[in-house]
Amino acid sequence: MALLGQYAMNGAMLGMMYALVAVGFTLFFGVLDVIQFSHGDVVAAGAFAGLLAYAALSFFGVHAPGVLLLAVILAAALATIVVGVLVARFLVLPIKGAPQLNVLLVTLMMGTVVRECIRLFFPNGSQPQRFPALLPSSGWNLGAFYLRFDNVILLTCGGLLIAATHLLITRTRLGLAIRAVAQDEETARTMGIDFKRVVLVTFALGSVLAAFAGVMDGLYYNEVFFGMGLLLGVIGFAAAILGGLGNLYGAIVGGFLFAALQTVGAVALPFASAYKDVFAFGVVIVLMAVRPTGLIGERVSERV
Amino acid sequence: MRELRVEHLFTAYDRADVLEDVSITVEKNSITCLLGSNGSGKTTLIRSILGLTPPRRGSILFGDRELTKLPTHRIVAEGIACIPEGRKIFPRLTVAENLRLGAYLEEDGRVIGERLERVFAVFPVLAQRREQLAGTMSGGEQAMVSIGRGMMGAPKLLLIDEPSLGLSPLFVQENFAVIRQINEQGVTVFLVEQNVHQTLAIAHRGYVLSKGSVVAQGTAQELLANDEVRAAYFGSGGER
Repeated sequence: MALLGQYAMNGAMLGMMYALVAVGFTLFFGVLDVIQFSHGDVVAAGAFAGLLAYAALSFFGVHAPGVLLLAVILAAALATIVVGVLVARFLVLPIKGAPQLNVLLVTLMMGTVVRECIRLFFPNGSQPQRFPALLPSSGWNLGAFYLRFDNVILLTCGGLLIAATHLLITRTRLGLAIRAVAQDEETARTMGIDFKRVVLVTFALGSVLAAFAGVMDGLYYNEVFFGMGLLLGVIGFAAAILGGLGNLYGAIVGGFLFAALQTVGAVALPFASAYKDVFAFGVVIVLMAVRPTGLIGERVSERV
Repeated sequence: MRELRVEHLFTAYDRADVLEDVSITVEKNSITCLLGSNGSGKTTLIRSILGLTPPRRGSILFGDRELTKLPTHRIVAEGIACIPEGRKIFPRLTVAENLRLGAYLEEDGRVIGERLERVFAVFPVLAQRREQLAGTMSGGEQAMVSIGRGMMGAPKLLLIDEPSLGLSPLFVQENFAVIRQINEQGVTVFLVEQNVHQTLAIAHRGYVLSKGSVVAQGTAQELLANDEVRAAYFGSGGER
């Protein structure tokens, strides 16, 4: 029972991270019909920027965990916004009219550049880096299951962030502009919408979600790695596709579903939980064969 | 007084439509129409004015503002709205959201509310359907959304591209009445159409475009009486 609770909590944490990344993929696809394949590495850039902020503040004698945490999150968000917006402005927008494959290739290469930059320029960057525990590690004993405060806080914040994104998209003027651009770019422009600005803001928004996913990853595992974005990116992309690319709810569902598959894989394959990714991706492949447009099909979905 | 003046406009397009040396003047508070058959370049002219297909040469003056170098959203901000060919409503947005987008540049909720009331006064059915996804409506209702959206911007100049396309005659008649009504409220209208008789019935002046060039112009009466125009572009007194 306690073990099951542990698995469920772990699955929820993973699901939240995947969902945060997947929402980014789905937003970018919504406004620009592109796959931003460096998005996973943007997550890593965020985590390492947060780590830098932590190191800098510690160096100057700041030790209050609240201040440090805030600085880590702000630095991560700032770094991902810069990378995400630069990618959109100088790599994706200029080749908007080109075949999709070109955008895919360019962003894929950009991801490698970001990844290698972290490895080469971060001190001892090729090794995994310890990520500080900035949240209280105490918790409640629920029977045999120990519910940690830090996990609860991370899950709550992630959930709030996704809810805020949802409100922004569905309830605000900016969100309306994003949805209009997603449906019909040209007509949206004739409404007076500044298309480029909407695209850049959308990339900034998706990148902030990636920053939080990166910090969450670091705080949860107490370790970050320059290549961490590779798998996170592929999983986030798979989750977005699974839910139906361009669909906000689909991305969230896809993220949690993928985490559930991994968890089930870890529990149900007792001979080798190392195969949990193989199992999860295998199921995704089967699901894609059955439902090529994603679980929440385009027919009933509202894109972005 | 001139509202819009297109001078010696050349627009190349990677599709077939091309404008060659088109000059057109739209007087303030008038309904000016542009007639011509399919492929004559009518829609290209609208796209050029809106900056969607920027012209290669020539000038487009709105008041005394040159539009040719401006991006689309800045052109719209000058006070131009468009009811595009094929309606181009946002199918997966509600009627209310479609109409809100028409007034995207207006941020004052009260002003938006007033404009919304005006649209609902003209199309009461839209008030009942405000929460319906626009894509699930009939063609005639979608046309109302598109026209209403054009009204929401409270433009000085309204560009209307083929409002009768694909609509039943009854709807066409209603829509033309609404266009006249909008014009009477002080909005200059530039109306692009193939439907000659109904268009000239409400237009003050008109131009005839053929193969990318203006081949005739004048008041509505002059154009109706012009034998050459009738023979060449309107068939033998019928439409198209």
